[in-house]
This record gives sequence, structure tokens and C-alpha cells, in this order.
Amino acid sequence: MSIKFTLNFKEVEYTGDPAARLLDVLRNEYKLTGVKCGCKEGECGACAIILDGELVNSCMIAMGRVEGSEVMTIEGYATTKRFEVVSQAYADVSAVQCGFCIPGMVLATEAILAHHPHPTEEDIRYGIAGNICRCTGYNAIVKAIGLAAKAGEGLW
Amino acid sequence: MVSRYCPTTLAEALAVRNEEKVVPFGGGTDLMISPKEGVTYLFVHRIAEMKKIYEDDEYIRIGASCTFTEVQFTPLVPKMMRDAISEIAAPAIRNAGTMGGNIGNGSAKADSVLVEYTMGAKLRLASVDGERIIPIEQFYKGRKELDLHDNELIVEILLPKTGTDNYFYQKVGARKALAISRIAFGGIIQMDGNIIKDISVAFGAVANTVLRYREIEKMLIGKTLEEAHALRPTFVKAYDDAMQLTRGRVSAEYRKTVCMNLLNAFLDDKGI
Repeated sequence: MSIKFTLNFKEVEYTGDPAARLLDVLRNEYKLTGVKCGCKEGECGACAIILDGELVNSCMIAMGRVEGSEVMTIEGYATTKRFEVVSQAYADVSAVQCGFCIPGMVLATEAILAHHPHPTEEDIRYGIAGNICRCTGYNAIVKAIGLAAKAGEGLW
Repeated sequence: MVSRYCPTTLAEALAVRNEEKVVPFGGGTDLMISPKEGVTYLFVHRIAEMKKIYEDDEYIRIGASCTFTEVQFTPLVPKMMRDAISEIAAPAIRNAGTMGGNIGNGSAKADSVLVEYTMGAKLRLASVDGERIIPIEQFYKGRKELDLHDNELIVEILLPKTGTDNYFYQKVGARKALAISRIAFGGIIQMDGNIIKDISVAFGAVANTVLRYREIEKMLIGKTLEEAHALRPTFVKAYDDAMQLTRGRVSAEYRKTVCMNLLNAFLDDKGI
């Protein structure tokens, strides 16, 4: 079975097992190691990606599910203007500690701002509820997301 | 070529389901936790007939492949369902997990299923042999035991169009997000002036299936609020007697106590 999908804005064709985990395929076949593996059960958000515009955990997705879809990982997002704003905001408030949760956290940020260009603190906390930071730096992350919304006015 | 395992029409999907041993794959949020070796999935996310939310003369119909997020943000869907869904897991799970998957997984901890029990929802099932519509309570025969033939798919969830506005829903979990229900409670009351036209009560996550006792509910139907208030101790005792709970992730005593507390909170809230 061949599975065609868009990966970071490029058309790709995958010919392996349709039951394989998207997370494993992204890391091992496509070498997109910005996608982190934390729990493999949807509990931590470290492997989050954007699938057809929505945040999902790539550990929960079998390859057949991406047929005809658009997948964006942190590597693809890093080429966008929006990323620059988010990245700068995280840096400005020192929101990154060990960094393991950050690729997922940054994509959750994108998902929040895409739906709420002017998010309340509640919108932000609801939006990152599935992304666990074991350095527990949540307050700085919440602040960074609020800052990104202001700094990127008009981008979302 | 698009594979037969990612069909875009229900007819194609049912043909595959009839010919081979396949596991329907909705969002994967349950299946991918402990995937089975050598499994063949039937991916149902591209089937247009299973992605729609609409109403007809009788029901509000939700396609089984609709994600929780799609249902949460569709105003046509009764508020009780949208409320319950807003507390399921976290955004990335709600963006993937589907309504049909929550049912097909067969767990009594499925929060959307509790709402379906409380509302008296029905399921539309289909196979190459035809279709049938059955009440959700009949679909669940036991823990992970469903009235679903090997060649059938869950196509739609049918919710009542009216009578669900006056509800009470509460989920008790260990955290606000990413928490499986320890106990979930749903209650709906329909008034006709001062008369209770209908009342339904369901408990999730405390037994092999969601629990609903229609016989006990009948005690209050047709009564005034005052009459119902006088009957309240008998009503509550009937649940206390009927619910013989066993230990799960939490003790049987904890389950029972919280169930009774939530039942009482519902009755308080509705002036009974």
C-alpha cells in the first residue's frame, strides 16, 4: 500500500506498513527528530504535529490515517514567519528549560493562535492542557504565548 | 492509487469490512496505546457519509468519524454533549478521537457514551446486508462486548432533537485535563409546567457498561416537583440498592459514595 501525503509542504509517498506509528516514521524514515517521543500514549504532547491544520499527537496516528493529509512538524513550522515570532517570544521570557516539550509546545502555540489570535489566559491554558513540561515551566510558557500573540499581531 | 483500506465511500468500506478481518480506525487514540501485531486497519476518516453533522425530522445525526473537536464546536449538537466533550482529554486528543471510536472501544469510561445513555441516543449501524438502528443501551452488552457484527460499522449517532436542555453533567477525574473519568454522571429532566415529563439518570465509569435504570426513573415521571421531593428518599434508596459496584481503579465504596453525591447534587439542582 502506498500512502501519499504532504509533509512539511512537500508531497511524499510512503510505502511501508500502514499500521506503523506516524511518530516512528517521522523520526526514523524522514529523520525529523524534532518530533519527540515522550510516552507513546497520548499523555504528554511531546510528539505533537499539525495534521490538516489541527494539533494531534503523532504517536496516536497510524500511517494510513495520513493518506491525503497535510502533516507539518516543527521542522516545517520553523520555516515560517509565525515561527520566528513564537520562537522570539519564548526566548524573550526564557520559556525554554530542558527543551524536550518545546517542539510540541510551540506547535500547540500555533494551534492556539490560529483559533484565538487574541487569546485569554484561559484560552492559552486550555490549549496547552495536553502538553506536559516536566521542568514545570508553565507560567513562562503561558507568558510567551501571550507575548507571541501581541508581537505577531496580524500574522494569525 | 488510493488503497482499499482508506475508502472514501461507505459502500467501499462495508465491502472491505465484509471480506476481510479489519479493525475500524477512527482517530487511533485508543487503538495506538497498545497496537496489536499484524493488525489490518480500515481507516474511516475519509468516508463522507460518516463525517457529517446534520438534522432531519427525527434526530440530530452525528457521523461516527466526526472528531470530538468537530462536535464540540458545532452549535447544532445539544449543549450537554458539547460540554462533556470539552472536558475529554486535551486538544490534540479531541482533534483526533472520534465519536464512533469512543463507542466502538467499548469502555464504560467513555464520556460521550455516558451522554448518549442519558439522552437515550440510538446508533445507526450498517453492513453489506443492510442497516439497523438500535438504542445505545442495547448496543452495550458488557465490558468490551458490543452488539456489532463482524461486518458492521457504526455509521451515525442519533440524538434527540429536543428535551435535553435541562441537564446536569459532572465528571470526576484526577486532574482537569488528560484525566480518565473516575466517575461521570449525567442527568436530564424535562418539565411540563410543574410536572416531570421525563427524567433520566446515568452513571459512567463505575461498572462494565454505563448504568441507567429506566424502572427507577419511572418513579418520578408524571409527578409534580413537590411529589417528587417527597419521593426523593425512596428514589435515592432505589439507586443505592440497584448499584452493586465492584472495585475498579478506585474502591467500590468511593464509587458508590460519589455516585450518590452526584445523584443528590442533580436532584438539588433541579429542585427535587
